[in-house]
Amino acid sequence: MAFSPTDKISKDLTIPKLFYSQAKKYGKERVAMREKEYGIWRPITWNDYFENVKYIALGLISLGLEEGDKVAMIGDNRPEGLWAEMGALCARGVGVWLFQDSLLDEVKYILDHSDTKFLVGEGQEEVDKALSIIHECPKLKKIIWDDPKGMRNYDQDCLISLKEVMRLGRELEKEKPNLFEELINKGQGDEVALLFYTSGTTALPKGALLSHYNMLTMGKNLMTVDPCKDTDDYVSYLPFAWIGEQMMSISCGLQIGYTLNFPESTETSQENIREIGPHVMFAPPRMYEQMTRTVQVKYLDSVWIKRKSYEIASYIGYHVADLKFAKKHIPFYWRILEGFAYLLVQKKLKDNLGLTRVRNAYTGGAAMGPDHFRFFHSLGVNLKQIYGQTEVAGISVVHRNGDIKFDTVGSPIPETEVKITEEGEIITKSPSVFLGYYKNPEATEKTLKDGWLYSGDKGFIDEDAHLVVFDRTKDVMTLRDGKPFAPQYLETRLKFSPYVKDSWVIGDNKDYITAVICIDYSVVGNWADTKKLTYTSYPELAQKQEVYDLVEEQIRKANKDLPELAKVIKFINLYKELDADDDELTRTRKLRRAFVEKRYQEIVSALYSDADVVHIDTTIKYEDGRKVHIKNDLQIRKVGN
Amino acid sequence: MSTTFLPCGVYHENYKQDHAWWQTKFIKSKMFLLFITLFFIIPWMSDSYSLSICNQIGYTILGALGVQLLIGFCGQVTLGHAAFLAVGAYVSTLLVLEFPWPAVFIELGLAYPISIFIAAITAGLWSVLFGLPSARVKGFYLILTTMAAQFITVDFIITQYVSQIGGRGQAFSLPLGTIKVGPWAWGVIDSDIKIYYMMIVLTIICVVGVVNLLRSRVGRAWVAIRDNDISAEVMGIDIIKYKLLAFFVAGFIGGIAGAVWISNLAAISPEHFPWFWSLWLVGVILIGGVGSIHGTIFGSIFMVVVMELLQMAVMPLADTYPKLLMDFLFIKEAAFGLAICAFLIFEPNGLAYRWWQAKNYFNLWPFSY
Repeated sequence: MAFSPTDKISKDLTIPKLFYSQAKKYGKERVAMREKEYGIWRPITWNDYFENVKYIALGLISLGLEEGDKVAMIGDNRPEGLWAEMGALCARGVGVWLFQDSLLDEVKYILDHSDTKFLVGEGQEEVDKALSIIHECPKLKKIIWDDPKGMRNYDQDCLISLKEVMRLGRELEKEKPNLFEELINKGQGDEVALLFYTSGTTALPKGALLSHYNMLTMGKNLMTVDPCKDTDDYVSYLPFAWIGEQMMSISCGLQIGYTLNFPESTETSQENIREIGPHVMFAPPRMYEQMTRTVQVKYLDSVWIKRKSYEIASYIGYHVADLKFAKKHIPFYWRILEGFAYLLVQKKLKDNLGLTRVRNAYTGGAAMGPDHFRFFHSLGVNLKQIYGQTEVAGISVVHRNGDIKFDTVGSPIPETEVKITEEGEIITKSPSVFLGYYKNPEATEKTLKDGWLYSGDKGFIDEDAHLVVFDRTKDVMTLRDGKPFAPQYLETRLKFSPYVKDSWVIGDNKDYITAVICIDYSVVGNWADTKKLTYTSYPELAQKQEVYDLVEEQIRKANKDLPELAKVIKFINLYKELDADDDELTRTRKLRRAFVEKRYQEIVSALYSDADVVHIDTTIKYEDGRKVHIKNDLQIRKVGN
Repeated sequence: MSTTFLPCGVYHENYKQDHAWWQTKFIKSKMFLLFITLFFIIPWMSDSYSLSICNQIGYTILGALGVQLLIGFCGQVTLGHAAFLAVGAYVSTLLVLEFPWPAVFIELGLAYPISIFIAAITAGLWSVLFGLPSARVKGFYLILTTMAAQFITVDFIITQYVSQIGGRGQAFSLPLGTIKVGPWAWGVIDSDIKIYYMMIVLTIICVVGVVNLLRSRVGRAWVAIRDNDISAEVMGIDIIKYKLLAFFVAGFIGGIAGAVWISNLAAISPEHFPWFWSLWLVGVILIGGVGSIHGTIFGSIFMVVVMELLQMAVMPLADTYPKLLMDFLFIKEAAFGLAICAFLIFEPNGLAYRWWQAKNYFNLWPFSY
């Protein structure tokens, strides 16, 4: 029977069963996904999708995949990656996704820990990664690749192309024509579907086991809050190894049947989003921060009349958005002005950012500053906060239409209970709560008690029954007067400035608060060009007096309206950008506080001494493996009033 | 890749959509307005004088289109295009006046349309003949061979021989009512408005035809030859074939232009097709923008209108300085030269580039890039 999005998710339903019924329902008529190639959006119908998944699944079986075997995927977002995942699930395997930019150690750790049997990589890069660690992962049997570029001279026995896998699948189908259907029908909802590694701001990644039921109820409950249509477009460009992308592409996408669009490459994703104009978006705050920064920088570079138009329109936009936030009546003349602002600037601006058709835009995975949040609402973009984690297969709390407060994350979705423990920790109970960590019973025990998921986040529920997430429990700072303070909050405020790419706020149990700033190289570089400042490199630019003045100005703006004790008193410009490859950030770009505190302890101690300068003598490693010895004096600047 | 600016949410799943002409509702409505303007508003608003200016613009567009195709898209510089206009005009005139048409053709008003077609073919083939040297020579030398086309065709063959046909002396007269299109009484082309409609339809057909050619394999081959003929040949393009095809199409359109123009003339003589007119057409595309169909149209409008304004400015002074009237032709030539110099210095990419910039100003609103 065909599935309809209003159906209840039974324990019997699995992702493959849903996939089967959706593919049969939409068949050749409807486009399941598009990929931009050679300048056009090449459509792939549900029928093509089905055929490909079927042969990949059967091919994996004939290569020796057994029930519960892990199939890891690594690579850019592309149809083949999703086919491989779906194929693995249909063959009763378990999917594991890796971040494409993972370093060797991470790949090795995850492949080894998850007992992966097959690895599906995109092309030469992934194959090279896998080949260099295959001898350390004895359980890895085959490495499958799909992009033939550069693969001509690889003849290792462990390599096989995706085409070849599909050919094996076709042969197996001739032998056992009903095997695929049988495999799908065998599945049960509470079996493990995905093994998902959490990014882990503190320790090694932990593998969360998610069942089919977890994934499907998750999507179902989100779609009850904000229904989508099967004619909608969605752009899949964030790593599949991030639960948010799985939630949108698999949990929601499969149930609703909307079209997934894959960008040409990671570099062109922003442009490709603009072409498609998705109806629904889910991205971590950094994507929205990037958009805001683009607008701010382009605004600075435009001509007078364009700048003035923008200022007028954004003044109106902010005013109306603030009225909406306060749930106040909007007087008719502000409505007229809003329409004027829309025609004058916002229509084109939204078009520019690819947000013309967006019905719901979500942000989650990290904290988003209120300034960014207000910015998007001032444009009339329905941006909503989401709160969730890998362990609930996505999200548990979301803003509702017309009930948006920019300092909260909204209220729980259906079938979900959220409570605050006495210690102030957020705990969640829902059908989507995961099964446990793979091969880590202690962590499971700590996180999962009586069906409640202990998040490790501090928060509270406000007077409107909205959840407010304060910060990770271990990150919450105590000010001099003993009050708790979330460094994240200040960091996101600092990041609203286009010149600040990353910030790290220090001050736990200290006399005052300080910040380490990473300037945005291209924006500040541009600014320096217009000021006729010469510089040769990031470290040099960051240490310019003028740049310090500029950053000080930005900090002063962020300090405004903050209580005296929570103001940033001193700051330093770091000589490099924070990077996930140096373990300073997680792959989802969250700051790994404990690590940076250790790594930059000289800077931290200098910030809390009387020194004006801190001498740095360190080695940094570039992405291409070059190592450079850096000797640099970093200035410490006090923020004036 | 389509080069037009597309709004968010407009995307293509195949190349047919990608190369479609009017991809957004905005452009479609713009084109609809243009259509209304051309077919209803202009004829309704204009008097005979402004219609004659419009006809002149149409004639210039048709003439410059071939030059644009050769210079702007195929890179074959030509300075003899007036010869092919002349061939078209003379073939059509001779056919209408001298050919023993069966009565039914005359009645149905087919004689003139058929003559246009034959004129176009003849002019095309004549153009290929003078395009042949392009197989061997390029650049400066090609300019000279195309100039040869002008002198051989107009100054020698047409003046010395063709004009003598029928013993009429220098000019063929084409009294009003000689030209008839279609079997209806109103098909007799005897007023500016009828010429205007005929001109506009043919101009649209030719522009559409050329634009379509340009987005096909043929057009891509021409552009490849323009950009680098050696690379084009390496890519497997038969460059001689495509160069000659460009000459044929350019001549064909020139033939149409010449044949249509006779409807506007009471008499036709070789003086209508001087070498200066060839040069003028090159000036039109330089000012409009080389390598742009928009540019051809903008350049034609600009040149015709500016010269007309110049005339309006000079004429009142003629009462005081009668010599100005005599010298107007030279003033016109001087203005032409000045315009070319000014454009080459200040806007070498022509009016089409300005148009593109103006569009971008709004497309990128509220930013500058």
